[in-house]
Amino acid sequence: MNEAQSTAVAELPTIADFARTFRRIQAEIHKVIIGHEQAVEELLSALFAGGHVLIEGVPGTGKTTLVKTLGLALNLSFNRIQFTVDLMPADITGTRVILTSVEGRREFSFQSGPIFCHILLGDEINRATPKTQSALLEAMAELQVTVSGTTYPLAPPYFVMATLNPIEMEGTYPLPEAQLDRFLFKVRLGYPGEAELVRIIGSTTGPEEAGVEPVFEPHEAALRIEGLKRLVREVIVAPPIEQYAARMVRATQPANSRVLGDMHAPIVVDEVNRYVSFGASPRGALALILGAKVGALLDGRANIAYDDIDKVAAASLDHRIMLNYAAHTDNIDAAQIVQQVVKAVRASRA
Amino acid sequence: MPETRRDEQKLWLILFQIKGVRSRLNFLALQRWVFAGLALLIGGIGLTFFAAATFGPLTFLAIAIFMLIVAVLGIIRETIVVRARRITPARAAAFADTRAQLKGRLTTVLALNATPRRSPLWAYLVEDTYGRREEFEPRRVAPRLLSRALYPLLAAVLLAALSVPAARFASAPRRRPARPGLDGPSQVTADIGNLDIRPADPALQPNAEIYADPATLRKLADKLAAAEKADRDRRPLSKLVDKARKFADAFQDKLNGLGPARSRPTQMRLTDRNPGPPTPPGNNDNSPNSGPTGNSGGGSGLAANSHRGAPGTAQPGAAQNSPPPMTSLPPQQADELANKQSSPAPATGSDQTPAGDQNQANAGDPNAGGGSSHGTGSDPANLFGPASPLPLGSDSFKIAIEADPSDESTAPGSPTYVPPRIRVPLNPDQFPDQPLARAAVPAADQNTIKRVFQR
Repeated sequence: MNEAQSTAVAELPTIADFARTFRRIQAEIHKVIIGHEQAVEELLSALFAGGHVLIEGVPGTGKTTLVKTLGLALNLSFNRIQFTVDLMPADITGTRVILTSVEGRREFSFQSGPIFCHILLGDEINRATPKTQSALLEAMAELQVTVSGTTYPLAPPYFVMATLNPIEMEGTYPLPEAQLDRFLFKVRLGYPGEAELVRIIGSTTGPEEAGVEPVFEPHEAALRIEGLKRLVREVIVAPPIEQYAARMVRATQPANSRVLGDMHAPIVVDEVNRYVSFGASPRGALALILGAKVGALLDGRANIAYDDIDKVAAASLDHRIMLNYAAHTDNIDAAQIVQQVVKAVRASRA
Repeated sequence: MPETRRDEQKLWLILFQIKGVRSRLNFLALQRWVFAGLALLIGGIGLTFFAAATFGPLTFLAIAIFMLIVAVLGIIRETIVVRARRITPARAAAFADTRAQLKGRLTTVLALNATPRRSPLWAYLVEDTYGRREEFEPRRVAPRLLSRALYPLLAAVLLAALSVPAARFASAPRRRPARPGLDGPSQVTADIGNLDIRPADPALQPNAEIYADPATLRKLADKLAAAEKADRDRRPLSKLVDKARKFADAFQDKLNGLGPARSRPTQMRLTDRNPGPPTPPGNNDNSPNSGPTGNSGGGSGLAANSHRGAPGTAQPGAAQNSPPPMTSLPPQQADELANKQSSPAPATGSDQTPAGDQNQANAGDPNAGGGSSHGTGSDPANLFGPASPLPLGSDSFKIAIEADPSDESTAPGSPTYVPPRIRVPLNPDQFPDQPLARAAVPAADQNTIKRVFQR
């Protein structure tokens, strides 16, 4: 029985277990990361929802530290890839090399790349070429890597965190929409406030570094996390809530003649029609529901409420909305659009 | 098994409470519909009643139609709104969720209770919701028993209640009941030269009785014929407006209770101050006292009226000696009557025309009104009669006089004296167009008064 099979038969944890574990991991991370409470919560929500996270922030805001701290707290295997222009796909996935056996025979053997781990940090992913970026696609979506015709499964839990630097865009390769869509959430890390900055200075320039205590034992970490992920999937969603999420995603889609399908959105948001080229895909609705499920469990509920959807709307839809030229000239970003969409859909609920 | 049964009972109780919330909300919606409908009806009726007493027929008609439209549209709108807001179980659950801050628990339980495949967390959800059952009790979620639409209804009732005294106040002169004894047929003296004849006002009852000498009646008939021709030439829109006015006036009278009072015939005496062709002598024979008149204008009509004893005068013998010619429209009939009047025999005879009867009745009636009836009775022999039975309220009275400036008596070349226009307010017991009550005159003063009139 492999690890994946063992998690399937594991007993379902309770809602209280989930909330307790979640808060404990959160507390461990905040021993190192000062501030960014919402970002940390969204990061963990994505982890337990079974998705991946795109972290956007200017240099020095603790993106890499956050991911490393998460790996330490979860006590899972952790790898980091620094994406550069000359990075090749094989550098990520691994490649077949010729090895000489004990008997003296030479044969091809697969040397796994850094992608084979539980937690992967792709630092500055937009600095690699699209070819290299797309090497992550299969791993993120299907938890497997195919090299030279051979498919290698990845051990769950598998969690990819990619960081993006929104400045110094020269010589970068913006992620294609298909790849962006595979990230469950986009987490923004902003500059810390003055009080937070003082605390950061105090905690990082002293003789002692803040130590992170692992929440799970190494042998049970994967099992426990998979159990919690299964619990998230079991959260009950009423049809009106599903309809609400679907309506929200539809509201991000402008009336675009270039897109096939039913373009008759029940809720029309002026900003969407004016500034959005392409709205969120159906994956956006999944992200809304999965993120809301985690929120419901954290609140001690077995069901999703409308507020849970609203709460994760920004993280779920922000990176799935493609803005047009008018938005750039009017200095409109996707977060503002999502805000208007949530407002309009919430009003339709009442 | 007992565990499952207990869970089912908890679920049933949750659903029962949702049903209770739904019943309350639907009852409130029904109340809203009833109250709002009643408010519209009562308010509309009150305003219409007030408009009937305050405004003219056309304005009243416009307001009445407007109120009718508003009421009908309002009731339709309320019906649509209430129908659209009909509370389904899902809505009731959502409402209770919001009110009790249950974060979708009830909505989820209601939506998924019939689902065959249930999540492992279903039991937790039911237990969790059941544990909060006190928070979504119907009387807690929807505590209101009466809809807020009751307030508009009360306001409408108050408005309607206020419109009754307001309408009475506004229509007091029109609605004032006639005093017994003073309620004689009203009489109007008109100079035919100045008489503006138009097609009959549909708002008025067409039963005026007209007295005049035959020549005047002939002129009147001509004038009426011209007016009728003009009426026929009018545009259809004007006729429609007239019809609307007539309808509105009838409706308005019904609301104000003025119907019978307004239909009382009006007796009109016509005079011709500037007669065109000379009057046939027979006409003058008709009235033996036609020589001296009290009328400074010397018009034949008015002179005839004065000496014939106008209808309603206090001269009992005058009506018998010379019954006043009476006719009513149309003009052919007026011509016939004028011809009859021109022949001496019937004129001197005691023709008992209806007006004559009325005159006699009025003359003999001790309760007959004064005013215009008494104004023609300047014969010193007939100055006094029995007093009106009603108390006058005070020993003095005032008469409103509206006098136009006249330069008849000024010498040529001298500057014209223009007297100031004076309008004396009426005595509180007097009303416009109301005949003066006859007062008792002490016997000691009667000779003095007679002497004044004999001069």
